Amino acid sequence: MTAPLLKISGLNAGYGAVPILSDVNLTIQEREIVALVGSNGAGKTTLLRAVSRIIPATGLLEFAGTDLLPLSPEEAFARGIVQVPEGRQLFGRMTVEENLLMGCRLRRDPGGVRKSFEWVYRLFPILAERRRQLAGNMSGGEQQMCAMARALMAAPRLLIIDEMSLGLAPVIVDQLLVVLNDVRAQGMTILLVEQDVFAAFAVADRAYVMETGRIVREGNVTELSKDPAVRDAYLGSD
Amino acid sequence: MLLAQVLLNGVLLGALYGLMALGMALVWGVLNIVNLAHGALIMLGGYVVYYCYTLLGIDPLLALPVAMASMFATGYLLQRFLLNLIVRGALLNTLLITFGLDVVITYLGQVVFTADFRTINPSYSGANFMLLGLTVPVLRLIAFGIALLLSSALWFLLNKSGLGRAIRATAQNLVAARLYGVDPRQVYAVTFGIGAALAGAAGGLYGMISHLTPYIGSSLTAKSFVIAILGGLANPFKVILGGIVVGVAESLAALYIGPTYTDVVSFLLLVVILVVRPAHALRAA
Repeated sequence: MTAPLLKISGLNAGYGAVPILSDVNLTIQEREIVALVGSNGAGKTTLLRAVSRIIPATGLLEFAGTDLLPLSPEEAFARGIVQVPEGRQLFGRMTVEENLLMGCRLRRDPGGVRKSFEWVYRLFPILAERRRQLAGNMSGGEQQMCAMARALMAAPRLLIIDEMSLGLAPVIVDQLLVVLNDVRAQGMTILLVEQDVFAAFAVADRAYVMETGRIVREGNVTELSKDPAVRDAYLGSD
Repeated sequence: MLLAQVLLNGVLLGALYGLMALGMALVWGVLNIVNLAHGALIMLGGYVVYYCYTLLGIDPLLALPVAMASMFATGYLLQRFLLNLIVRGALLNTLLITFGLDVVITYLGQVVFTADFRTINPSYSGANFMLLGLTVPVLRLIAFGIALLLSSALWFLLNKSGLGRAIRATAQNLVAARLYGVDPRQVYAVTFGIGAALAGAAGGLYGMISHLTPYIGSSLTAKSFVIAILGGLANPFKVILGGIVVGVAESLAALYIGPTYTDVVSFLLLVVILVVRPAHALRAA
């Protein structure tokens, strides 16, 4: 087995004196799609913030063999950790194209950037049509596509998607899940953070289940979806 | 004919007012700091040009880039080491700190520059020409041109460059900007530096058209404040237009009511705008 792309071990983090995460262990291999599921307030977003270096943390946090803990959010981004934040967080008074340009602002390979533009416009043709439109004026689904395209423009090594399905129609969610497989085919690795466990398990290889700041279950999704505890809590028993 | 002449003077002077307000509007929109020391920065820029001209013999128009560069450095350092402590903080804190900064700069100015009135008087300062029966003062026309030039440059910087996109992104969504590799402290410092550089250019032109003392800052801050609200914080050209509105209003007031009432008129305009379109007034870049 090769060295993992992201390795988290014994990680603790929180806000000020309030601890949220305790002893979190999680690894992601290159080109994997890993889901992180759990109910509201389980600490998923806090874990993402720790990985993106927005909040301080203690423990082991390694990305492609380098220690992430001393890095700033800007440096983590520059190393290829790119987030599609919850609620899209687009630059609402910029055009779609300008949002995408923000994604590739640190890249210095014009040819690669041009290819990325072609690629994301092929993945999301609607964005090509709307590229001169203000991002804030689009529908929720289009905004989510724009947020994902912006992240892909950064040519991420690890793409982190926080609550992709939130507030979107199921048909749009299905479209986005298909796109994730295309993204993986480009050699990228994906961490998918979801409350919609059905959606997450439909595309992920492995999953971690989080409750009150701890990882309580992990495994590949076929095993996990048979686990009675997971079924009861997240998938609904039938 | 008198009215046309007064309108022309108002438009030409107003563009310079707009240039004064440009830096304030930029800083306000991006950093959410109402910089009460903005007028003091204009004053400093004026003295840079004054000393370049009187001590070094540099033509004042050629000294404008010198003033802009030195004010950019001043603004950058002020932001990096002082104002980053309060950026996007509570409004009262930013007002207190920038007010204190205004007092400090003004009184340091009094010590260094003395309280004497200074005017920057190049050979062409009184030159003018006739056009369609109107007298066009050359220096004011140049100031008008420079105001348009610098506002266009700012527009291009904000809308067509990577740096400008980073500045607007930071203003629109700080969290997302950080996630996409923008270092906000750097963006804030550069933005404040640009605001100070624009103030520096405005100060040099103001010193050629009017006069300099260390105390001109507070009234210029007030004027810039009014214009920033009139023109909004998003579009440099609208800020220049706001300046022209104030310039014309002041000129008309001076003609019909009396020169002592010019400040009343600009603040009256402010009140009217805030009553008529309060939400429109403060939309950031």
